[in-house]
Formats: sequence, C-alpha cells, structure tokens
Amino acid sequence: MSSLDPVLLAVISNRLDTIVREMENTLLRSGRSAILNMARDFSCALVTGDNRLLATAEGLPVHVIGMEYLAEAMTELHDDVSEGDAFLHNDPYLGNTHPADHTILVPVFFEGRHVFTAAAKAHQADCGNALPTTYMPFARDVYEEGSLVFPAVRIQRDYEDVSDIIRMCRRRIRVPDQWYGDYLAMIGAARIAETRLRELCARYGSELMSRFIEEWFDYSERRMEGAIREMPAGTIIGHGRHDPLDPLPEGIPINVKITIEPEQGTVELDLRDNIDCVDAGINESRACATNNVMTGLFNSIDPDIPHNAGAFRRVRVLLRENCIVGIPRFPHSCSVATTNVGERLVVTTQRAIADAWEGYGLAEGACGIGPAFAVVSGEDWRRGDERYVNQNFLGSQGGPAGPEHDGWITYGNAVTNGLMFRDSVEIDEQKYPIRVRQIRMRTDSEGAGRQRGAPGAIVEFGPKQSTMNAAYVTDGFHNPPRGTRGGGDAAPSVPFRITADGAREPLAPIASVPLAPGELLGHELSGGGGYGDPLERELAKVRADVLARFVSLARARDVYGVVFAGEVLDDTLAVDEDATRRRRDELRAAH
Amino acid sequence: MSYRISVDTGGTFTDVVVADDDGTLHIAKALTTYERAFEGVSTALEEIAGGLGLDLGALLAQSRQLTYGTTRATNAIVEAKTARTAFFTTEGFPDILLMREGGKLEPFRQVAYPAPYVPRHLTFEIRERMDAEATAFVPLDEASVLAAIREATGLGAQAIGVCLLWSTVNPAHELRVGELIAEHAPGLPFTLSHELNPIVREYRRASSTVIDASLKPVMQDFLVSLERDLSVAGFAGQLFVSTSFGGAWRPSEVVERPIYSVGSGPSMAPVAALTYGAAELADGGKPPDMLVCDTGGTTFDVGLVSDGDIHYTSETWLGGRWIGHITGTRAVDVKSIGAGGGSIAWIDSGGLIHVGPQSAGADPGPACYGRGGTEPTVTDAAVLLGYLDPSNFLGGRLSLDRDAAERAFAPLAQQLGMTTEQAAQATITLASENIVGAIREITIAQGIDPREVTIVAGGGASGLNIVPIARELGCERVLLPRTAGALSACGALYSNVISEFATSHYAETHHFDLEAVNATLAGIEAQAQAFLASLDGVEAVGQRLEYFVDARYRAQVWELPVALPGPRFDSQADVKALEDAFHDVHERVFAVREPGQYLECLTWKVRATAELAKTALAGRPAAGLAEAVPAEHAVASFRETGSLSVPRYDGATLPAGAELEGPAVIREPTTTVVLYPGSRAVVTDAGNYVLHVDPPGASAAAVAGPAGEVTVS
Repeated sequence: MSSLDPVLLAVISNRLDTIVREMENTLLRSGRSAILNMARDFSCALVTGDNRLLATAEGLPVHVIGMEYLAEAMTELHDDVSEGDAFLHNDPYLGNTHPADHTILVPVFFEGRHVFTAAAKAHQADCGNALPTTYMPFARDVYEEGSLVFPAVRIQRDYEDVSDIIRMCRRRIRVPDQWYGDYLAMIGAARIAETRLRELCARYGSELMSRFIEEWFDYSERRMEGAIREMPAGTIIGHGRHDPLDPLPEGIPINVKITIEPEQGTVELDLRDNIDCVDAGINESRACATNNVMTGLFNSIDPDIPHNAGAFRRVRVLLRENCIVGIPRFPHSCSVATTNVGERLVVTTQRAIADAWEGYGLAEGACGIGPAFAVVSGEDWRRGDERYVNQNFLGSQGGPAGPEHDGWITYGNAVTNGLMFRDSVEIDEQKYPIRVRQIRMRTDSEGAGRQRGAPGAIVEFGPKQSTMNAAYVTDGFHNPPRGTRGGGDAAPSVPFRITADGAREPLAPIASVPLAPGELLGHELSGGGGYGDPLERELAKVRADVLARFVSLARARDVYGVVFAGEVLDDTLAVDEDATRRRRDELRAAH
Repeated sequence: MSYRISVDTGGTFTDVVVADDDGTLHIAKALTTYERAFEGVSTALEEIAGGLGLDLGALLAQSRQLTYGTTRATNAIVEAKTARTAFFTTEGFPDILLMREGGKLEPFRQVAYPAPYVPRHLTFEIRERMDAEATAFVPLDEASVLAAIREATGLGAQAIGVCLLWSTVNPAHELRVGELIAEHAPGLPFTLSHELNPIVREYRRASSTVIDASLKPVMQDFLVSLERDLSVAGFAGQLFVSTSFGGAWRPSEVVERPIYSVGSGPSMAPVAALTYGAAELADGGKPPDMLVCDTGGTTFDVGLVSDGDIHYTSETWLGGRWIGHITGTRAVDVKSIGAGGGSIAWIDSGGLIHVGPQSAGADPGPACYGRGGTEPTVTDAAVLLGYLDPSNFLGGRLSLDRDAAERAFAPLAQQLGMTTEQAAQATITLASENIVGAIREITIAQGIDPREVTIVAGGGASGLNIVPIARELGCERVLLPRTAGALSACGALYSNVISEFATSHYAETHHFDLEAVNATLAGIEAQAQAFLASLDGVEAVGQRLEYFVDARYRAQVWELPVALPGPRFDSQADVKALEDAFHDVHERVFAVREPGQYLECLTWKVRATAELAKTALAGRPAAGLAEAVPAEHAVASFRETGSLSVPRYDGATLPAGAELEGPAVIREPTTTVVLYPGSRAVVTDAGNYVLHVDPPGASAAAVAGPAGEVTVS
C-alpha cells in the first residue's frame, strides 16, 4: 500500500484552491448585480464526480456547504449528463439555499468520465418574485412567493445556451440584462474551472487524482478531529429568538443542541427540537439549516481547517422533515432562508459555545437586512424612466466580540462574517436616483465587554424626484444581539422614516414601504454583543472608543466604570485612574 | 565621459547604478542610512568612483542626471511618522476612512479592526452637499469651514486633506475651502481631492487625499535636504525622483503630490524588464509579454508587461488589502507575495507540510546566517541542497553555516520521516508552489496566460527556484539579467517623465454626447500639454500623449481601463470603436463579452510622457575565457536526480554565446542561478542569461510527477 507524497498532497490541494479563487475572481469582477459584487453573495466550489464537496478556498460555509446536494440533484435527475452541459439549479427543495441564488453546475469530464462538478452560485438582483425584491418574508407558500424555480435544468448543451430557458428567464425576471450578465459571469467561472481541472488531470493522471481526493479528505478529517479533541466535553442547548413576524407574534424561537465528544473527535448539532415550517418565507432550506449551524461551529474553532466533505465526517447535523430549521416541506417558502432565521442559527450556536466554555465561541453578531440593506426599486427619470431594482449595501452593523478581539466593524451580518463590501455613496447616487444624507457610527450601540462588540452605524437615504420602494427584513429590533460571559447586549436595530418636514416616525421592522421625494428612509443599526465583564476592559481601549465616538463619556462612566479628567474629545483626554478605580469598585458592589 | 546615476533605497540596502556613455553599468550597494539619505548614497558612489579612477565630486560633476528612488514616503506611513493631519469631509460622513469599502481576508479569523488613517477627533464635518448631477444641494456654510480650520490648527494639525462628496463633478466647494485654508492658516499644506485624484468613490479619493496631505511636510524636508547635499557634493545635473507610476518627476512635482512616491522602488522593476526585454527578447521590435519577478528576503514581487505596456492598478493598499489604507492613485501594478528566502517550513496538526507565510526576515534571518535563527527556511534548504556556496555567498560578503541549516531541518525531517535533504527539497518545492499559485491568480486575473509569457527574474534570491517556478507555470523561457540584484535601480536608469491627468465625466455610449466628452478630453489634454511644456531644461528626446477611459458594462460595479481609439470622438463610429475595444478587453480579462451592451464611462485620462535620453545596453566586458569552464564541481541535490556532482561557474568568466546545461550553478556577485535538470542557460551578448526550461515530464530525469511517491509499510 503506497500513499501519496505529502508534498504532492500540498501541491494539488493548493492547485484546487487556486482554481476556486480563479472562479471567484471572474464572478466578482464581471458580475452585474450589486448583491453579487458588493455583498460577495456568491460562491464557487469543486465537487467530486460522486458528489462530495472537495474544494472551497476561503468561501463561506453558508454558501458552499450544500453545493454537493446540487450536484447530486443533477446526477439523479439526468442520466445523460455530458461534456458541454451546464445546469441551472435554484430549487431549495432539492438542495439549493434559496431561489434567489442561481447556481450553474458544469460537469467536468476527463477521459470520458464525469470526474468533477464545478459549481458557481450567485444571488440575483431579481428572481421573478411576486414583488420587486428577492426576499419575500410574508409569502405564505412558494406560489405566493412567485419566483421561477429551476430544479437542475439543462441550460447549456454542447457549450451552447439552451435558448428556451434563457428566454424564460429574460421574460420573467425584472432586470433581464442584469440577469443575463450574471449568468454569463457564472458560466465563465464554471467553464474556467472545467479547463483548469482537465489540465490538472492531464498533469497528474486520473488514478493519482482519485487517490489524492481520498487522502485529502482523510487529512481534512484528521485536522477536524484534532480540533475537536482539544475541546471540552458536554452537551449544551442554545436558545435564540428571531423578532416577531406574522404568524409568530412572540418571535421565532431557535433551539440548538450541541454535543461535543472529544474522545470520539466528533460533534453533533441537533436542530430537531424546533417548530414546524410556517406559512411565511422565512423557513430554512436543508442547505441553509445545515450550513448556518455549521458556521456557528466553524466560528468557534481553528480557522485553518479545510471546509470539505472530509472535515464534515466529524460533524453530525440532525434535521427533521417539516421543521423551520430543517428540511422544508413543499410548498413552504424558503425565500429568506439565507439571512434572518439562518443568521439566528449562526449566532445562537456560537454564543451557546461561548456561554458554556471560556475561550471558545463568540457573542452574538448583528442580524437581519434592515433598511440600510434594503432592496430598492423605482423608475429613474435620468434614464427615461428605466426601471431599477437592486439591493443597497450602505449600512454597517456590528460584529460579535470574542475571547481575544473586539467585534469587526464592517461585519455585514452573521452569514457574511465581515466579507461583505460596502457601497460607495457616490456610485449608488450615480447608478440610482437617490441621495444619501448620512452614514456615521452610532455612539453607544456596541455590546459592552472586556472585548466589546463592534458599534453599528446610522444611515439615512431617500429618493430625489420620483417615488422609491424599499423592501427590508430587519431583525434585532425586539431581540438585539446578546453578549456572553458578562458582556452586554448591543443596541437594537431601529428602522425609521424622516418625513418631508423633518419629523421622525417609526417604521415596521419588516416591511415594504414607498418613499416620496423629500422623505428619507433611516436605520439605526445594531452593534455586536460583548464578551466578558466591561469593568475589566483596558482603560486605553475605553479611551480610544470615546475618542472614536463609539462610546459616550456617560456610557464609559456608567458601563465601563471609566472616569476621565476632562470632557474635550481630543489628545488631552486623560483617564482619571483613581476615580476610575473607585467607580469600578462601586459598580462591582452594585452588581 | 559623462554619467547617469540611479539610486534605489531599500529597507536594508541602497543600490546605486552608474551608467557611462558606452552603456556600461557600474553597481554598488551600501547600507541604507535613515538619518540622512545622502550618506548611504555617497558611500556607494565613492566605491564606484574609485573603480572609475575618480573621486566623488568629480563623478557627480560629470553626471548629467540622477534618478532617486526612495522608500521615505512608504516608511513614514508604515512607521506612522507622517504629519499630524486633519480630514475635512461633507457633513454626515465622518467615518469614511474608518469603514473603508468593507471586506476582510479570512472570514473565520478573529482579528483587531484597523484604525482609520486620520482619527475621528481630527475629522471635521463641513456643512455642504454637492449632488451627483453637480448641483449644490446644500450650499457651503463657510462658518463650518472656519470652525474646522480653527479647531484643527488648535489641535496642532500640520496638514489638511479635503474630500467633499461629488467635488469631482463640481469642485466649487472644495476650491473655496482651499481658499479659506490659505487665508486663515497661511502656509499650512493641504490637498484638495478633486485636484489630486478626481475619481468617483469617496473612500478611495479621501484616502488618497489624506495620505498625500500627510506626506507633504515630510517629503518637502527630505527633498530639500537631498538637493542641498547633492549640490554641495558637486552635482549640477538634473535630479529626478522615481514615482509609483514607473516614471520620474522633478522634486517640485513630488512635493506637490508626494503620494506618487509611495511604492516607487518596486515600480521600477517592470521598467527594467521592459528595457531588457526589448533589447534581449524582442521579436519584430516588440518585447514579449513578461512576468517580472523580484525576490527579496521576505517578499516575492510580481509585475506584468503585455503588448509592450506595463500593467497599472488603482488598488494599491498599504497594510493589507481592504483593511489597510488604499492609495487610490494609479501605480505600476506590483503585487507582493509573502514568500522569500526567509520563509519558514512547518508542519500542521494534520501532518501537512507548509512553507510560510511566517518568515525569519532579515533578523535573525535563516539559520545558516548564524545570527540566532533556528527555524528551517528556504535559504537553509538551498544551502543543504548545495545550491548556495557557504564560503562564497553574495561574492563572499557573508559566509553561511551549513551545520546550522542541518540542525534547523532535522526536526522537520524526523516528523516527515524523511532525510534532511528530502525535507529541504520538499521546502523548495512548496515555496515554489506558493509562488506558482499566486502568480497564476495574478496573471489570470488580468487575462494573461502564464504559459505564454517570458519571466524576467530579479532580486538576489530569484535564481534559487525560478526554474521550477517557470516549469510549473508552463513557461519555457526566463531572462535573468546579470544585474538581477539591482533590478529596480536599473529600471530607474531607463525611466521617463510620466504624468497622468484625469477627470470624472459620466457618459453612456448608447446616447453619447460627443461634444461634452470632447470638451472633457480637451480640458485634460491641455493640462497634459502644459505639463510637458513646463519641462524646459529636461533633456527629452520625444513626447507623447495617450488617452484612456475607465468604463464598464451597464450595471457592472467595477471598471476596466481601456485605451481610446483617438484623442477625440468625431462620430458615432468612434464610439463604436470604443465599445469594440472594451468588448475585447472584457473578454481577455473575464472570458466573456456582451455584444450589444452599452458602456458606462466614468473617468477620462490623458497620460503625458517625456522620453528621457538613455544609453544603450553595453556589450559584456570581454570574458577571460573562450569557453565556459567551471570554477569547481560540488555536490548538489535535485528531486529528479538525487545527489550528484555539478559544475559551479563564475559568471564573470563566461563568454557570450556560451550554453550551459543543467544541473549546474552560476555564481554572480549579487545573485546565484540554479540550473535544475531539464534546463539550459545561454549567455547573451550583453552578458545576461536566457534560461530555457523543459515542460514537466519532458526531461528524462524528471520523474517527480506521478511517480513522486514514497512507500510506507
């Protein structure tokens, strides 16, 4: 029995990641919709011919875990998968995340055999929903949601488009050119992978590549096993809650049961004790239930472990049929599966781990896609009333604190984990007929702690000459991100409107609202939860937070117990150490 | 005899090159002196002057031109020794520099959030607002400007960067703020964003602006003292300073826009490659597409030249992509890969071997340097494999400790169940692999197939593994200049005066306003012509203007630069020609085109070049021998062959036209070239090396691929 040269193992794995990055780069730079480009809401992966997730580079698990389900649907539905084919798959009941994520699957052949599947997935600007938004929280079922669903449908044969399918999409998607541009970008990415994988097979031979795959999975499994063996043993249950949404006026409870078995080197994540699917668009798909709970786990362990089928052998995810965080029963809608409830799975899992074991896990990060990330639509008077639909990424909400670090400021949300880009105000104003009034950090929005959560921002923007519609799904208004191990909760996420005469009025957390010229849509975004006792936070860090306007002098005194000698926010600001010591003692005594 | 001098100041060494009228290059290195730049330069110049039978004053007096590359601006930023700078921004947007454009490299690694370039308490909001359509939606409130100036100066600000939203389409407010600063804080340096870098995207423009402002006092002092020192020492020629644009500016231009001196050193390597490529590799007068590699102790820098043009970028980040500070200005595109001679080999918890990104750096350096390093590095591997001669490294300036390298590798070898020699080979293979992966990403992202380029290799360490790198890239030809150790300084010798003038003007090609665009182009063309006209006293042998636009397909987010079909748009046919040119560029870079789709045009540019007189590359000094004779034979080890005795040549003894077959080693005073099995070197008439690399598997000796296995019981 011979095994591969360890050097070759490293070399080939590096080549595969390079191929994935090449795909990502193609998608990122040539894609059209802002959600693809800015939120980096796209992903690329390589799957083996027998449908195991092989290579994902640095992609987010929320995007890449489950690509193997898509490939599986392709091989099960079609017995004539051939070279030159490409399949369009966005069916959440057959392994996809949600219908707005279009995935292109290209089977890669070498020496006549289907050896890999290259997958490129991108969130579309529009997917033909009943309303001009890709998020339909109130859709009672897939029919009311209205999106076009493609269960692994052949969209290229012999490297040529199947025009019927292209025409269907162009007819029913509101921004056909944008969709087609994104389609081309996905095809480009998958075809590049096809070429590169064939070169790789030619270089090393198919027999060696087959052995590589098994050894790479074994290696990845060893890494995962090693990481779990270092963790404390035990079973814990994390409870979380998404904000209320019809038909759930008390909110959506989330329960995650986590069992760490260091002796076996395994982890079990059990989501079966949760409510049934609901008549709303917020059910998780199987892919999202799995990958979001796993993201919570991956946020809590060694970041260098490869995310592939080998490492996943050490994790058992238990789901049940017809569960809001399980396997959705058709025709329940999964329109919003990738964010909201999905994000709650991520943060509930990581916080449960942090609560249970010092040094592991994270607090809760900000969740939801509130007004600062709204899907806006309307007509552009500057372009002959051409229709526009797109998601904005003006906001910035706070990341969770961890054992060693403060939260990441431009966190985006729990499923993008800081990878999200932000829109340029000038680019948005050039592309769409809107004006942004302000984007600034929101003082005192952070979850306090020895390590603090990141603060959120305040964002205000609105239309200029004609009405704009904004659709958004805020979370964290009723249940703001929680801290852990003595760390504080963050400020809630608050949507509002500023009327033409300057008055501020509240808006519903989940809504689709028209805004007239002169009106502004506003959003005070939440921060991330804190980690550890804020009275233990280093004085210099509190001072820096005050100078940065993250924390007010009053909050520094009342929550962090830090007293300053003056009140002028410049270099002269000095901590009064004696007064601070007394103040911290006082606050500890009051606890 | 008259001379031209070029200087490249690095972190450790200052390289100085002197070219005489015959084109012969004289090279010296000296330690960089931070207190007074001229000291290091004069030490090296004295060494060269001595070799020419002159003293320093005489050499300087006979020098017509000195091009100076400095890391002063870069270092000032990295070490936070720039001027205390205030940031004036539009009311409502005080956190532009904090939030940047979002993004992060590793989603699962928790790291500290980086501070903004200017702290919030030195940031001031100006009450005003321009609109995307160039109207003043909120008029400028001068009281808010005066308050900001008062507070900023009160806090000891030494410079001010002003970036207001949409100043690129209507600069009235920014100009007025500038007037008020000049009036109420006379003498205080400031930068207005629309004058420095008129691009759309407020973070990039603001970042350019504050970085530039913060460098003004530093660079002013530095260049004034350099000019004075040179003049006192007898220099009466024209002083130029290298820019990040791969060109040279007079000191006065650098003082005006010092941000362009950031990263100027590395930008010169592609300039050198262009010169060497044109001289040594030209096919029908045009150099081939080239991948320019410059290896140091901790980084491997990569640049590209295609169709005879150096590649530029607008995304240069200081301190890390997305999380550092973007310069936002156009610069020669040089990407740094964290791989060099100091990269450390290690094994992870799953038993996989890695090389880097940790580096032993220059201090303590590799174990074989004998300065306290104990970790196994790429340089140590090269010593163990017999590629580097311990007794004759860098022309004998440093002797290497082979035993220390052996000790450093022993634990790694034991863990892998290998000999130290095999572990060393694994290290070289993986170090090369890291570079191969990074190069593939860089080239392919720009639509260049690495199999179709010629590599130009520079830097002291590049010769160690450029052959396996080229082989794995599928690239068959490598040019390794004899002066590889001072590639950037050589580039400065061949640089031109280049400046770019840009303006933002939004236009869509499906209803294209010819007159408006032509007026825009005329405006920047006039600026470019005025710049060229101002270069009196500069010995230019030619001038040219080139025209570009940054454009994208409808609804795309990112632009691609594309050359304009001509200086003006005379008819719709010219617009069509622009669209066609864009389709081609888009297809090259992204593999797809979208015929029929219109373009959104954002930033228009005119690049002005004044070509400086240059001396031709000289022939090689007559070699001592008629044919190639090895200085000695020594044992070296290759993955393909195991240990064997290979010839070591001294470069200076090799005659032009000599062909050397690998395995062999060539020693040059500033670099070492390792010829692996399956590669050959040809010595050119100018004394440079062209390496020919067989593809993987082609060499009879190359058994590494599929058969490269070890048997376990």
